[in-house]
Amino acid sequence: MTKHLLLPNGSFRSAGFSRRSVLGLLGAAPAALAISSAFPGRASAESASGGALNVFSWPNYFSNDSLANYARKSGVTPNITSYDSNETLFAKLNSPAGVDFDLVIPSSSWIKQMADKGLLQEIDHARLNLGSLDQALLNRDYDPGNKYSIPKDWGVLGVVYDPEAVGGEIKTWQDFLDAGAKPGVSGKIRLSDSGWETIGMSLWTHGKDWNTATEAEIRAAGEEIKAFAKHVKTFSGLDPNQLANGSIVLAQTNQGTARAAIGLNPKLKFVVPGPMSELWVDNYAIPAKAPNLDQVYDFLSYQLEPDVQLSETQYIGFPAALAGLREKLPADTKNADLIFGGKDLDFTKLTSFVVDPATIGVYLEVQAEIQAAAGG
Amino acid sequence: MAASPPIPATASLPGGGRAETKRAPSARVSDHLFAVIPTAWLAIFFLAPLGFTVVYSFGNSLFGAVELGFTLKNYQTALSGFYLSTFLRTVQFAITASALCLAVAFPVAYFIARKAGRFRTLALVLILIPYFSSFLIRVMSWQILLARGGVFEVILNFLHLHDGPLDLLDTKTAVFIGMVYAYLPIAIVPLFVVLDRIPGPLLEASRDLGASRLQTFWAVTLPMARPGIATAVLLTAVPMLGEMVIPKLLGGSRGVLMGQAISSQYLQSQNYALGSAMAVLVLVSVAIVVAALARLTKGFAEVSA
Repeated sequence: MTKHLLLPNGSFRSAGFSRRSVLGLLGAAPAALAISSAFPGRASAESASGGALNVFSWPNYFSNDSLANYARKSGVTPNITSYDSNETLFAKLNSPAGVDFDLVIPSSSWIKQMADKGLLQEIDHARLNLGSLDQALLNRDYDPGNKYSIPKDWGVLGVVYDPEAVGGEIKTWQDFLDAGAKPGVSGKIRLSDSGWETIGMSLWTHGKDWNTATEAEIRAAGEEIKAFAKHVKTFSGLDPNQLANGSIVLAQTNQGTARAAIGLNPKLKFVVPGPMSELWVDNYAIPAKAPNLDQVYDFLSYQLEPDVQLSETQYIGFPAALAGLREKLPADTKNADLIFGGKDLDFTKLTSFVVDPATIGVYLEVQAEIQAAAGG
Repeated sequence: MAASPPIPATASLPGGGRAETKRAPSARVSDHLFAVIPTAWLAIFFLAPLGFTVVYSFGNSLFGAVELGFTLKNYQTALSGFYLSTFLRTVQFAITASALCLAVAFPVAYFIARKAGRFRTLALVLILIPYFSSFLIRVMSWQILLARGGVFEVILNFLHLHDGPLDLLDTKTAVFIGMVYAYLPIAIVPLFVVLDRIPGPLLEASRDLGASRLQTFWAVTLPMARPGIATAVLLTAVPMLGEMVIPKLLGGSRGVLMGQAISSQYLQSQNYALGSAMAVLVLVSVAIVVAALARLTKGFAEVSA
């Protein structure tokens, strides 16, 4: 039957091609890709001294210099593999493929779920010095007492915009939604693709907490954003060039991308709108079955040294958790305040999202509806 | 099996027994051995995951796990409200994109098969070569072409077909451009093959009998190209049903399609049960497409023989 479907009898023979050879050729490229991605670099991290350290992290999330320094000091070269989302990290740790990892970097939103599932182990605070870290970043609601996590670096949800095009200043999420409906701004807006960050705008405006909102409240807030969706141009990752060339004039984003865009176009402004906005923290966490525990604590102590914290900040563009970091940055750092989300960021007006199995499905479903309502 | 020698090879043996008994036992063993490898491959890497998917689709979802059982709840959800409209939109999207792809591929294949002469191999190679580079890079390069200030804007302004900045990126048009581009080679090849196989004398006969070029095309070329068209539709529409990268990179993730919906159920919602039910629905619709296309080309063997 397949034969009839694909070709008349004997059709290829004299054409100099066979169906199989052509399809084979067509298949070869993706197959080669698939094979290479199925066996990522899992070279052994064994080193001369016999120690090993397997880190599972976001791509490009450790400064090469400080890694090289650590390798020199300790004789152990950390073996880093990367993931692209907390969901992937969760799925991998939750499967037999996750047993080798010594250190992972989950975001604040996922710490509780991973800990509840028994995927993380409690951190022995006696073996680390957290005293040098910014106290505003410790003991936050996603992990009280930092039982399972130590902040690595952090960011905020804010708005980058072109004041000229938007015609005024943006101070609250309501300002954002109002400005977005104006002609000249409508159709040039970027919203986050994360359900809680879009629906959060409306929840906060109505004085709700995104971690305790009921399904009905989330859906009601979602309706407001759905009505706004027709003004949205994109939900995909924000390209700073699109802000620089004016095809986007109003966008939800973190301070890192905003700083890159402002570097290209100094007219742009960044603000963390009220009444509330998001603080996300990426954290060091130790998987429950980490095989090289001593090495992990050794590496973590090294990572928490002030010099290393500074070098990490300069490398990844997001602030490490060190207290007084702003003053330690070189004076010629461009838009240095922006690295920290602006000059006078109020940590009491920031909240971290915590994934809850009871509502996460609702957030995601409503976000899908918002993106669908944007058409395209 | 071991006791087979005493059994006489009679016509009354059921099934495939007849052919086997005529061959030497050694050939039979090696034949089986050869068959085992692909069968095992299929069973482990294709049928087993498929089986899990089907079983999961009837289970109850726990966060990041599935409690096995039998419920039609997932299918009810997948076939109602938002998910149903996503499903229908995806089908419509795949049909449109596949038709567009075919409309572009047919003239190209026709030209290569009929007019390219000694350059036909070169032409085919040129069409296939980009296919060997990374899919992601090819799609992302369209971002540069379609973005504001990109090549498209410059050309259209130069030709006075458009005035001022052009924001094609993050539109439906950009998604369809990307779709047609990405799937063009796999539509051209099967079309080329059938068009190339149409015997010249048939076309001459048609002309001799007084048919115009258009009539010849309509009455001879097109019907004989049917299997190629069916194959091209199959090879483009089926992957398009699951496409999720192009809408994300070129369409600004607006208008969610089935591929994104399923992946977000699996990864973000950790709802394997609903994701599986949705995946099974896509599989069923693929099966329907395949069956329909198989029907469409039925009887072609007799025509061509």
